[in-house]
Amino acid sequence: MLRSRKTWLYLAGLIFLLWIPFSGIGGGYLQTLGFLTFLYVALSTAWNILGGYAGQTSFGHGTFYGLGAYTTSVLVLRGMHPLATLPLAGLVASCYALLWGYPCLRLRGQYFAIATIGVGEATRLLMLNLDDLIKDNAWLKGVLHEGVLTGGATGLMLPTPGDIHSYAFGFYYGAMGLMFASLLVSWKVKNSKFGLGLLAINMDLDAAETLGVKTAYYKNLALMLSAFMVGIGGSIYAQYVFYIDPQTVFGFPMSIAMVLMPTIGGIGTLMGPVWGAVVYIVVQDQILTANLEFGDFKLSLSSLHLLIYGGLLVLIVLFEPKGILGLHKRLAAAWAKRKKENSGKDHPPAGSG
Amino acid sequence: MDLPALLVSATLLAGLYATMSYGLALIYGVMKIVNLAHAGVMMWGAYLAFLFITAMGINPFLAPLLTVPVFFFLGILMQRYIVRRVMSAPPISSLLLLFGVWLIMQNISYLLFSGDTRAITTKYTLSTFLVGGISISLNRLVVFCVGILALVSLRYFLGHTYMGKAIRATAQDGDASKLVGIDTARVMEVAFGIGTALAGLAGSLMALIFAFDPDFGRSHLLKGFCIVVLGGLESVVGVALGSLVLAIAEALSVFWIMPAMQDFVSFALLVTVLVVMPGGMLGVLQKFKRDDFPPAGGKGEDAPL
Repeated sequence: MLRSRKTWLYLAGLIFLLWIPFSGIGGGYLQTLGFLTFLYVALSTAWNILGGYAGQTSFGHGTFYGLGAYTTSVLVLRGMHPLATLPLAGLVASCYALLWGYPCLRLRGQYFAIATIGVGEATRLLMLNLDDLIKDNAWLKGVLHEGVLTGGATGLMLPTPGDIHSYAFGFYYGAMGLMFASLLVSWKVKNSKFGLGLLAINMDLDAAETLGVKTAYYKNLALMLSAFMVGIGGSIYAQYVFYIDPQTVFGFPMSIAMVLMPTIGGIGTLMGPVWGAVVYIVVQDQILTANLEFGDFKLSLSSLHLLIYGGLLVLIVLFEPKGILGLHKRLAAAWAKRKKENSGKDHPPAGSG
Repeated sequence: MDLPALLVSATLLAGLYATMSYGLALIYGVMKIVNLAHAGVMMWGAYLAFLFITAMGINPFLAPLLTVPVFFFLGILMQRYIVRRVMSAPPISSLLLLFGVWLIMQNISYLLFSGDTRAITTKYTLSTFLVGGISISLNRLVVFCVGILALVSLRYFLGHTYMGKAIRATAQDGDASKLVGIDTARVMEVAFGIGTALAGLAGSLMALIFAFDPDFGRSHLLKGFCIVVLGGLESVVGVALGSLVLAIAEALSVFWIMPAMQDFVSFALLVTVLVVMPGGMLGVLQKFKRDDFPPAGGKGEDAPL
C-alpha cells in the first residue's frame, strides 16, 4: 500500500515537471528554475560517483564543467552544430580527467582533495591566459579563430537563435533527459560490481586492493565517467546562456557547488545528491534573492550566500554527516517509535486489565 | 626588473611563505588534519592589520605582532569548540568542516569590509635602498625579518619548553604521549592556536606587500600546501627550503613565461610535487642515507600515497 502510494506520488511529480513548460506558470520563471535544477541534479549526481561512492573528494570538477562549456563554444563558433558537440564536450572532459586523474588519484583522501584544488585553480588561470600564450607560437596559431581561441577573461559569445522560446523549451526537456540519464548511470553503477569496488575503495583502500579490486583502474574510471557527465552539463549550460567566461565556468564556486550539493543531500547515496541539488537551487534562488527589512535596517540576503553554504556544511559535518537523507531516516525512526509507543498506550496488553 | 633583483625579492618573500606554511605543517603534524580555514585566517590577519594601521594609527611594522595574540586565542577557541568534535571522524570530514568555516569567514569579511580590494600604503611602502647595485624594498626586508624572527622563536619554544616538547611528542605519536601523561587535548589546542597565530601573522605581513580582498587567502593557501609538501612535514629547515624553492620558481616564471602565469606555475608545482615526491625534498635526500625517515604525513593511513 505504502509502496504504491509512493509510486503514485513520484508519477504525479513527474507529470507536473513535464507539464511545467506548457502551463506557463510564473511566466517562464518556473521553466528556467526547472532547467537549472535538472542541470545541477545531473552535476551533483555525477560528482557523487567519484566523491560519494568511491569517497574521493574532488574540488576540481569545475574543470570538467568549464571544458565542456568551452569545447562546445569553440566548436560552435567554427560552424559545428551545437547538439553534435555534446558528446565531444563529454569526451574532452573525460580525457582531461584521465590526464590529471591518473597521477592525482594515486594520492589518498585529503591529499587528493588538495591536489584537485590546485588542478582547478591552475586550469582556470591557464584558460584565462591561453590566448596570450599561444598567439606568438607558430604551430598553435592555426587554432585561433578571428584571433581568439578562449577569449581570455572576456570569454566567448555564442550566436543566439531566432526563436528563443522554443529553444528554451527544448532545453528544459534536454536538461531533464540529462538528469534522468545521470541518475540511471548512477543507479547502474551503484548496483554493479564496479560500484561495489568503489564502495570497497571508500571503506578501506588497502583492504580492497588486497582482495583484488583494481583500485587505480576503478578510481580513474569513476572520475572519467563523472567528468563525462559534468562535461555534457557544461556544454548544455553554454548552449543555454550563449555566453561563457573562465571565472564563471572554471571558477572555484562551481567546484564548491558540486561538493556542497551531494554533501547536503547525503553523500554516497543515489537520491541524496538530487535532494541536495534541489536545496542548493532553492537556497540560491529563493532565499538569497530575498531582502529583509527591519524598520530602517535593510539586509540583502545575497550578501550572505557563503555564510549560508558554509554554515550548512559545518552543521552537516558536525551533526548529520549523512545529510538530508540521514536526517530523514532519523526523523522517520523517531516518528515510528513514537507511534508505536502511542499505540501501545491505547491498547494495553490483554493480561493487565 | 633584472634577474638578481628578482631573486633577492623572491628570497625575501620566502621568509613570509615559511611563516605561513609552518602553521599549516604544525597543525597537520599534531592533529593530522588539513586546515583549509588557514586561508580565512590569513585573510582576517590582513584585515586586522589594515584596521590597526589605518583606523588606529599603529606603526605598520608593529601591527602584525599585535595580531598574534588575537589569532592565538581564536585558534584555541576553534579547536576547543569546533575541530575537536571531528577528530575521530574520517579525515575528509575535518577538511569539509574547516572548508565551511573558511566560507563563513569570507562572508563575514564581505559583510564588514565589502568586496573592494584594499591595500595598505604607508610612508615605508615605496622606500628602497641599494645593496651592491641591487635595490631592496624596505617593506619586504622587514617582513622577511619578522617572519624569520617568528620561526626562530617558535623553534626555541618547540625545543626548549615543556609545552613545546609535548607538542612534538604528540606529533610523533599521540597515543604514546597520552600514556606518558601528556594532556594531548590541551596540546592540540595550543598547537592549533600557534598554527592559527602564524597564519594571522603571515596574513598581516602580506597585507603590507600585497593588495587583498575577502578571497585573498586561497592562492596563498595552495602555495602553503605546495611548500609543506615540498619541504616535508614537521621540519623547520624543510619548510624554509620549500619556501625558497617555490618563491624562486615563481620569480623565474615571471621572468621567463609571463607574470599572469605566476600562480599557475606554483599550483602546477603543487600537483607535480604531491604526485612525484610525496616525501618532500628532504625525503628524497634522506632516502639515500637511511630508510627510516618517515614520509610526509608520518606513517600508515596518513601517508599521501
